[in-house]
Amino acid sequence: MIEVSHLVKSYRDLKAVQDLSFEVKSGEILGFLGPNGAGKTTTMRILTGVLPPTSGTAKICGFDVFEQPMEVKKRIGYLPETPPLYPEMTVRDYLRFVARIKGVASKQIESEVERTATATHCDLFIERVIGNLSKGQRQRVGLSQALLGNPEVLILDEPTVGLDPAQIIEVRELIKGLAGKHTIILSTHILPEVTATCQKALIIAHGKMVAYDTLDGLRAAHSGAVAADGTPGPALSLEEIFLKLTSA
Amino acid sequence: MNAIAIARKELNIYFSTPIAYVMFTLFTVVGSYFFLQLLGGYEQASMYFMQVNQPEMMNRLNFQDMIFRNLFGNLGVILIFIVPFLTMRLLAEEKHSRTIELLYTTPITPGDIVIGKYLAAISILFCTLALTLIYPVLLQVLARDTSGVEWHSVILGYVGLFLLGAAYMALGLFVSSLTDSQVVAALITFVLLLMTWIIGWAAGQTEGTMREFVTYLSAVSHLDSFSKGTVSLKDTLYFFSVIVLGLFATHRAVEAHRWS
Repeated sequence: MIEVSHLVKSYRDLKAVQDLSFEVKSGEILGFLGPNGAGKTTTMRILTGVLPPTSGTAKICGFDVFEQPMEVKKRIGYLPETPPLYPEMTVRDYLRFVARIKGVASKQIESEVERTATATHCDLFIERVIGNLSKGQRQRVGLSQALLGNPEVLILDEPTVGLDPAQIIEVRELIKGLAGKHTIILSTHILPEVTATCQKALIIAHGKMVAYDTLDGLRAAHSGAVAADGTPGPALSLEEIFLKLTSA
Repeated sequence: MNAIAIARKELNIYFSTPIAYVMFTLFTVVGSYFFLQLLGGYEQASMYFMQVNQPEMMNRLNFQDMIFRNLFGNLGVILIFIVPFLTMRLLAEEKHSRTIELLYTTPITPGDIVIGKYLAAISILFCTLALTLIYPVLLQVLARDTSGVEWHSVILGYVGLFLLGAAYMALGLFVSSLTDSQVVAALITFVLLLMTWIIGWAAGQTEGTMREFVTYLSAVSHLDSFSKGTVSLKDTLYFFSVIVLGLFATHRAVEAHRWS
């Protein structure tokens, strides 16, 4: 569903992403982990066609993001780091607008807006002006926007930032519920998020991939040294694995 | 279709912020001031000709030459002051608040973005100019003794004014696509439009081909033939070339942003 091979993005001397390759199968949720500034957002912006890669290829649903951007854009929902909202508009007007530019048929716009707003609980403040919403509410409008048009692939850049604990759990449940129907890449630097929602994790640091495995695989690979009598050492938590990998 | 969606969104924002209303008010306030001044001048002239009993001079007085030609000239200059504020946020704001990423990740083309935004801007221009239709309508209703307003010439004057404003807006949209600061966009647009006006003053100091060239560059000079009630191919072509050039350059700039 998503195939990335040897992706490189450099800005003059700075190498933001170095030789990144991975694959996400249909219906999977990939946790994209890394400290701030590791190149998570850059990778996501390349995948969504906002930025061109310096070299390497990325394919979504079999379409190259660089060669056939229109086909790719029809199939993705993207929630950037800062939700792309127009503070002057009401939530309903905004969602209608996004549905229109995503090419949702005009007869289905109202029901589609209703569906995604209900799924993200934006229906509670749908008539309000976005500029007056709290950070968590805006984040939910951003998520609702990404879901419009029911795209096959969802690319979510830190979807739970700014939400309160109850909302975080809610959004995680929502994302989990989307698995199977959608292929999802979810970036975060909050580790429990990955444990709670993802099957696989990709850890990057300084633009390089340092680990790419299922969660169980990661734990197994980084468990303590095997003792003399053959019993495995104490298992490391995901936090410890993360710190060990990214500090290197 | 996508361009229409963009245009609707822009109009939604124009009318949910004070900007459209402020511009409508300012334009009509300043326009009315000029209109009343010109009307006063017309009144004085006709009183004078009546006193000295010169009916042939009275017959020469008409609204078009005495009022509307000058009024359209003045309105054309006011456009220089209001257009930068109408076009400044069109693309600069999208870049500043990063909402442009939404436009780049949905299946719409840079052409849709440019055309949609331009359509919204010229709709606001259309409304602004339509509000000033009150002047010829008032004259038509109140000035019963005269031959009335030459509607043909007045409408052509409005067409000229609209084309002038549309050309200004194409330049403003282009400037807005180059920066992510609304203030910078407004300032550069203002200076650019001001240049198209004051370059006409330089025509007096030059001669021959140079003079014709400088006059041709001056945007306001192309308005006059319309206010006289004629359509000249040269002037229409001037406005359309500025519009096409501005939109084409904006399209390139929007597309180039992806490669930065």
